[in-house]
Amino acid sequence: MSTPGDNVVLKFKDYKSETKPIWCPGCGDFAVLNAITKALAQLQLPLQNVALISGIGCSSRIAAYTSVYGFHGVHGRALPLATGLKAARDDMTVLVAGGDGDGLSIGGNHFIHACRRNMDLTYIMMDNEVYGMTKGQASPTTAPDWEKSKLTPEGTGVRSFKPAVLALASGASFIARGFSGDPNDLARMIAAGIEHKGFSFIQALSVCPTYRPEHAEWKNQVNKFTTGETDNPITAVTRMVADDGMSTGIMYQRDIPSLERPGNGETGTLADFESEFEL
Amino acid sequence: MSMSDKIKDLDTFLVYSITLEEEAAERHDELADMMGVHNNPEVAATFRKLAHYSRLHAQEIRDHAKGRDLPVIAPWDFEWEGAEAPESGDMSGVNYLMNNAQALQLAMANEQRAFDFYDQIGRESQVPEVAAMAAEFAIEEKEHLDLLRAWMDKTDASVDEKHFDFDLVKMTD
Repeated sequence: MSTPGDNVVLKFKDYKSETKPIWCPGCGDFAVLNAITKALAQLQLPLQNVALISGIGCSSRIAAYTSVYGFHGVHGRALPLATGLKAARDDMTVLVAGGDGDGLSIGGNHFIHACRRNMDLTYIMMDNEVYGMTKGQASPTTAPDWEKSKLTPEGTGVRSFKPAVLALASGASFIARGFSGDPNDLARMIAAGIEHKGFSFIQALSVCPTYRPEHAEWKNQVNKFTTGETDNPITAVTRMVADDGMSTGIMYQRDIPSLERPGNGETGTLADFESEFEL
Repeated sequence: MSMSDKIKDLDTFLVYSITLEEEAAERHDELADMMGVHNNPEVAATFRKLAHYSRLHAQEIRDHAKGRDLPVIAPWDFEWEGAEAPESGDMSGVNYLMNNAQALQLAMANEQRAFDFYDQIGRESQVPEVAAMAAEFAIEEKEHLDLLRAWMDKTDASVDEKHFDFDLVKMTD
């Protein structure tokens, strides 16, 4: 493991672990992994200064595939775990990753409050519009008329979330959308999100070749968000609502006070901490 | 704007070329790992071999660059024709049940794009040393393509029943 001052140039491969992903061949999550590791390599963040916290689901396995600190957490609870870590170790770069079901259904409440607190976290939601690990059920971002799951043969009939709008309404200060078919551009957004002080939300459209084979068309549907980023929430929400959900880019970025570590910033020892629990 | 217009000096050309080959090696390794994990050892071995060739080519280009102070270009600042380097390929056709012939078709498409990249620069670059080196690399890519074609000719291209996922039919019918 490198340490600051080693003058070792880290390549994106150095941020990957020896554990081989068990994602389906062709899964967009491979590209998201590449984007994260490319962003970290470009920023040359020392491995021991970065943690990647994830929830449960196909995409949440990503923590094991990187060589930074990782914690494969509880379903929907990646954000509270990351919040705790950031509160305790505000010197660390804390990334959070998970799927659309993990982040918007099981962890939906944690998502809106993480946005509201605007803590300095970078959250990458790998959105494949389906629960893949449990073999293809509709998620909160699945279109209401998707009929391919036997659980909802006539579709859910329920409107899907617009994750970017939800993040904006809840107080996130950096909102972007990338695509697994363009991992280099996604890496740019992740690097910008890491450098942004506050809660950065990056929705990564990630194809699921197994349960959503129609995602093969996404490469023809995504387009660049041409209007550019704004720090005006009214402008941002107007654009996001009008958007078809397939445009990519940094949509919103604003300097908003970020919740920081409480107290005077001094770090206690483990013995101090344990003494508080003495009976 | 064509690649030859975007790449204006030899150092930049070398960075593009090294990145193209390194990313091809990484992608082929990634594909080999995918196939290995999904119990398709035959195709995994093919992709591993292709990764090895890409690494050899990357090393060859790094040797050309020895002693030069190459610029650092962020991944998102490369102006490739597509979203990724030309030899990294399109992952949308990848399947865990793919056979060797399909793997070789993917590899040939990648090599063809790499050839087109070098060939265009070799023919149209206004910088003589860039044009000369690109033409040299284009010849090598052409040789790789010929080798892959010969390999393909010896490969059974038929798709048998084991390359059929009954689970997916049940999921979607």
